[in-house]
Amino acid sequence: MSGVEIGEIHLPLSEAFYISVQNVRRRFARVAITTASVTLGIAFFVSLMMMASFQAQAGGTGVQPYMYWLLFISLLVCGVGITNSMLIAVAERYKEIGTYKCLGALDRHILEMFLIEAMLVGGIGGVAGYVIGLIAAIVYAVANPAVGLQNALAALVRPNAAVPFAGALPVALGLLVLGAGIAILLSLIATIYPAYYAARLNPAEALRYEI
Amino acid sequence: MALRYEYTVETEDLAKYYKMGVYIVKALDGVNLKIRRGEYVSIMGPSGAGKTTLFNMIGGLDRPTRGKVYIDEVDISKLDAYELAWLRARKIGYIFQTFNLIPVLTAMENVMLPMIFAGVRREERIRKARELLERVGLGERLYHRPTELSGGQQQRVAIARALANDPAIILADEPTGNLDLQTGLEIINLLRQLNKERGVTIVTATHDLKMIDVSDRIIYLRDGKVERIETRAEIAVEAEEF
Repeated sequence: MSGVEIGEIHLPLSEAFYISVQNVRRRFARVAITTASVTLGIAFFVSLMMMASFQAQAGGTGVQPYMYWLLFISLLVCGVGITNSMLIAVAERYKEIGTYKCLGALDRHILEMFLIEAMLVGGIGGVAGYVIGLIAAIVYAVANPAVGLQNALAALVRPNAAVPFAGALPVALGLLVLGAGIAILLSLIATIYPAYYAARLNPAEALRYEI
Repeated sequence: MALRYEYTVETEDLAKYYKMGVYIVKALDGVNLKIRRGEYVSIMGPSGAGKTTLFNMIGGLDRPTRGKVYIDEVDISKLDAYELAWLRARKIGYIFQTFNLIPVLTAMENVMLPMIFAGVRREERIRKARELLERVGLGERLYHRPTELSGGQQQRVAIARALANDPAIILADEPTGNLDLQTGLEIINLLRQLNKERGVTIVTATHDLKMIDVSDRIIYLRDGKVERIETRAEIAVEAEEF
């Protein structure tokens, strides 16, 4: 090439993060639907685990093997929901993606932006899901004379080996960490296909798209 | 300093064919152009003539079926994805009919975006974005988001953004298409002023006859081929004959 020095293209992580945060903050309705998928899945997970540990505390049976299957399937359903939601989000933003590429974005920058968004949604959904799950479990304990609030609170502060990966932490804390962790991981995995698709869009076609 | 490249944009037998089922649509069918540094060129023609396709080829947004595009004497078909991205960030500024600003970012942030990709330092980005937005007349609206700006204002932000990395070329696809008469005129005049001030080559694809007054040359496309090319002097003579 005659005399042209091709320089570098950067998208610092801090900038990608900032843009993703803005996307999450400003697109509330779209983000809320995706987050709801995560929240519901984690709420189910947390509440089921907690209810089982309350029962164990009250002298009943604890976490049963079939429950792990229930939780796995429900998280899978949520994951599919997240993928669906993110595919729509990507389709709504074809022009925007085309524009980013015009400004110099590489495919991997688009991928990064969507994956960061997915993790933010996962984090928020995970915490929200935990709170809902906790409330649901407490309500269950209070409404169920065989269990009662005393047993619930006692179960929450003790570790429970039946909780995967976080069995050494008190149940209340362990499920928060596990719930958020699963939410972020699930969101990330579910968004890989849509984000990859977005990253590979041809700029000319992306810009032409009319929703 | 001597100008190194006489022709900022050069196309050689440029063609783009699309397959629609069994039919082949010839969006471009052998276009040869040479655009000089600092020229203001308008590409005109009926719908479907190939204006946007030509725009996409020159802008490196799509690959031609046949032929070559040279930007500052670099054959862009030889560039890989990384180098193309650099080209789009540094050499070319884009302006669209639908403005295409990032809706979640403020005017300042939109203008700073190409500078982020080019690796410009933060203080310099802020300074330059402010300067550009003031130049296009939006000094009062630096922190507004696109939803808080009118069409004309959004297009001004787009122009400021296109200039952010001091590109050699600005490609404008129907820049006045979504604007009313008065606003469209303002935008066209702004583009012409910037063209004269900064020596940036401007190539617009347009239906807008108001663009004729400010263009150095007009390239008429029809059915994917160049029908004729007129210079402003020639148009002035034609107008006299009425």
